Amino acid sequence: MQTVDMQQLKSGEVNLGTSIMAVQFKDGVVVGADSRTTTGSYIANRVTDKLTHVHDRIYCCRSGSAADTQAIADMVHYHLQIHAQQSGGRPTVLTAANVFQKLCYENKDALSAGIIVAGWDKETGPSVYNIPLGGGLFRQPWAIGGSGSTYVYGYCDATYQDGWGRDETINFVKNTLALAMSRDGSSGGVIRMCVITEDGVERLFVPGNELPKFWEGEEVLSKSSNRTREFTDDMAIEV
Amino acid sequence: MPDGSFAHPQQRQFNPYSENGGTILAIAGADFSVIAGDTRQSEGYSIQTRYAPKVFRLTDRAVLAVNGFAADGNVFVKKVKQRLEWYRHAHAKDMPLRAIARMIQTMLYAQRFFPYYVYNILGGIEEDGSGAVYSFDPVGSYEREACRAAGAAQSLVQPFLDNQIYFKNQQSLPGQSRPLHLPLPEVLSIVIDSFTSATERHIEVGDGLEMYVVLAKGRSIQGLESFRGVQELTPNPDGDRVFVIRRELKKD
Amino acid sequence: MNSVYKGPGFDFSNTNRNAFLETRGLPLPKATSTGTTIVGCLFKDGIVLGADTRATTGPIVADKNCEKIHYIADNIRCCGAGTAADTEFSTALIASNIEMHALSTGRKPKVVTAMTMLKQMLFRNQGQIGAALVLGGVDASGPHLFTIHPHGSTDKLPYVTMGSGSLAAMAVFESSWKPNMSRKEALDLVTAAISAGIFNDLGSGSNVDACVITATHTEMLRNFVKPNERVQKEKSYRFARGTTAWKKEDIRNLIISEVVVPTREGEEMDTS
Repeated sequence: MQTVDMQQLKSGEVNLGTSIMAVQFKDGVVVGADSRTTTGSYIANRVTDKLTHVHDRIYCCRSGSAADTQAIADMVHYHLQIHAQQSGGRPTVLTAANVFQKLCYENKDALSAGIIVAGWDKETGPSVYNIPLGGGLFRQPWAIGGSGSTYVYGYCDATYQDGWGRDETINFVKNTLALAMSRDGSSGGVIRMCVITEDGVERLFVPGNELPKFWEGEEVLSKSSNRTREFTDDMAIEV
Repeated sequence: MPDGSFAHPQQRQFNPYSENGGTILAIAGADFSVIAGDTRQSEGYSIQTRYAPKVFRLTDRAVLAVNGFAADGNVFVKKVKQRLEWYRHAHAKDMPLRAIARMIQTMLYAQRFFPYYVYNILGGIEEDGSGAVYSFDPVGSYEREACRAAGAAQSLVQPFLDNQIYFKNQQSLPGQSRPLHLPLPEVLSIVIDSFTSATERHIEVGDGLEMYVVLAKGRSIQGLESFRGVQELTPNPDGDRVFVIRRELKKD
Repeated sequence: MNSVYKGPGFDFSNTNRNAFLETRGLPLPKATSTGTTIVGCLFKDGIVLGADTRATTGPIVADKNCEKIHYIADNIRCCGAGTAADTEFSTALIASNIEMHALSTGRKPKVVTAMTMLKQMLFRNQGQIGAALVLGGVDASGPHLFTIHPHGSTDKLPYVTMGSGSLAAMAVFESSWKPNMSRKEALDLVTAAISAGIFNDLGSGSNVDACVITATHTEMLRNFVKPNERVQKEKSYRFARGTTAWKKEDIRNLIISEVVVPTREGEEMDTS
């Protein structure tokens, strides 16, 4: 499991206690994330962009320590630029994921980073790679991560289907993240998404007051339940 | 757990005490006593309130200043007042100052193994009409002194008092007077300057200053009349009298 | 290892000794910290930075009027919170490197360059350098405002706060900040945010420093507002001459007169 162990973070460290996600579909991938960055119980940034550009058609979703994941993403970005210059073409998503994996695996005792790499390349088309805490590398049709992900594994398993189009995938990501954010205290704010296809990268934004709504328990709270009796005179204690 | 996060045994202990900052001080004169404290109450880097009194009138000739853990301080003052009320009903008079001091000692020592986290300074007039200051540690050790500072800025204020009241580290010069007790206006000036200085250099001191002045029976209010905003708390000008003077301190 | 020449970077030669001393019950000396309120705010024409002026060692005020807005370049400034020495040194180092960089490239420095240098330096040191920074400036690509945390993470936002007073200051920003403010509106907002820190956070105090950076001009407003002026003391504490005791009196003549007697006459150096 790739949730970040709070005890493992150094004290005072900035944490991306996060909900992140990437899903592949026919023509590309959709990556999404919440926007909350915390230091303990304080929200250091409520509009964070955790979807980080590493190359033209490759993005990563960051979870764990903000400092560690930013540093890793910067290094991968640098590697891919060199790679692109030397090979004369765009790197594949697998190449990018491999660079991430190498950094995460070789420095596993110093890092707390859970990263999802996703994008589109000529060789394989759309692909999603998950790199959890220890520095493993797994290709998946969909991946979720961060502390909020634990709440929505069941929803994803029950909902995901192969062969979706762009809009269905966007909705799936949006709903999953909204559910994760509603349950996880360290996730929240807005939803940011990127649709990466051969043609380009499209950025999507869902404001915090327009998140998809699910059951919120209002019926129970507002309706006077017939199990609790009104206080009546005959219940008064007689002396 | 495979990641080892629960591998180490963890011990937690509830800590019932906290430290609420602030400073108190008292100076005894020949026939008066001044007891003062700032009014800021804080915890960590936050101010809980800018006005929480730390100095309390007990009788017409006794004033108690309490500093340390505010919750313990308030409870302690409440219990002292209750014991004094009982004494009044039993003996039809106020408890003498030296008796209050001894009573506070026994009340503090009764809690020897779960102490009140407070430093007490008792000021007032003795039965012989002299000004007196008694200072206590949290478990009841006490002594009578001419002056004492306690609390957050004790280490800043006490050396200043030693120098100005006891003339410590000052060579006596020919033709210069070294009185055993300073006159009231002089004492009040030293108290105000102690607190404005402590406010400058200590982050937990500030907001307001309350100075209680206890005058011995029959002493004129000489030295007080020129002071701005003096308020008398005792109804009877023929006995011992208690006055309070309030001043603003910096609020940063 | 123990060569006379000291290489670049930190000197770790005392770490083992200090660790030993700590086990024997000698705690490390406390560093001066700027338990601080620092803020930054974007407005129509640029950036306004703000800071209080109190420096503390534990509960004691170490400096009542210190400067927390540091120079990086003519168009870039940086507010520092945390360990005073760390903020001072890291901003000075980056200011120097930025100057060198500007000289070698022949271009005006960019805010992201300073930000990247700072974050990489802080990340390299894994949070050991206790510098929490607010970096702001205007360059060829417009106004930029960043926070940089001690572990090396950065955030880019239109209004930011840091230090122990950051919550008090952020409360002011969250309730009153709006886009496209005028210079005066932004300066008033920054003053209100810093004042919230000064009065409600014990780690912050004294005066408000501000700095307005626009595309054409940088204005440092040192002690912009002084809401905590020192009050007059009741008494004078001048000591009479002779108050301080002494044990020994020794008066020395600073003018030394000596007689030089030439011993070998007629053997002067030949200067012809």
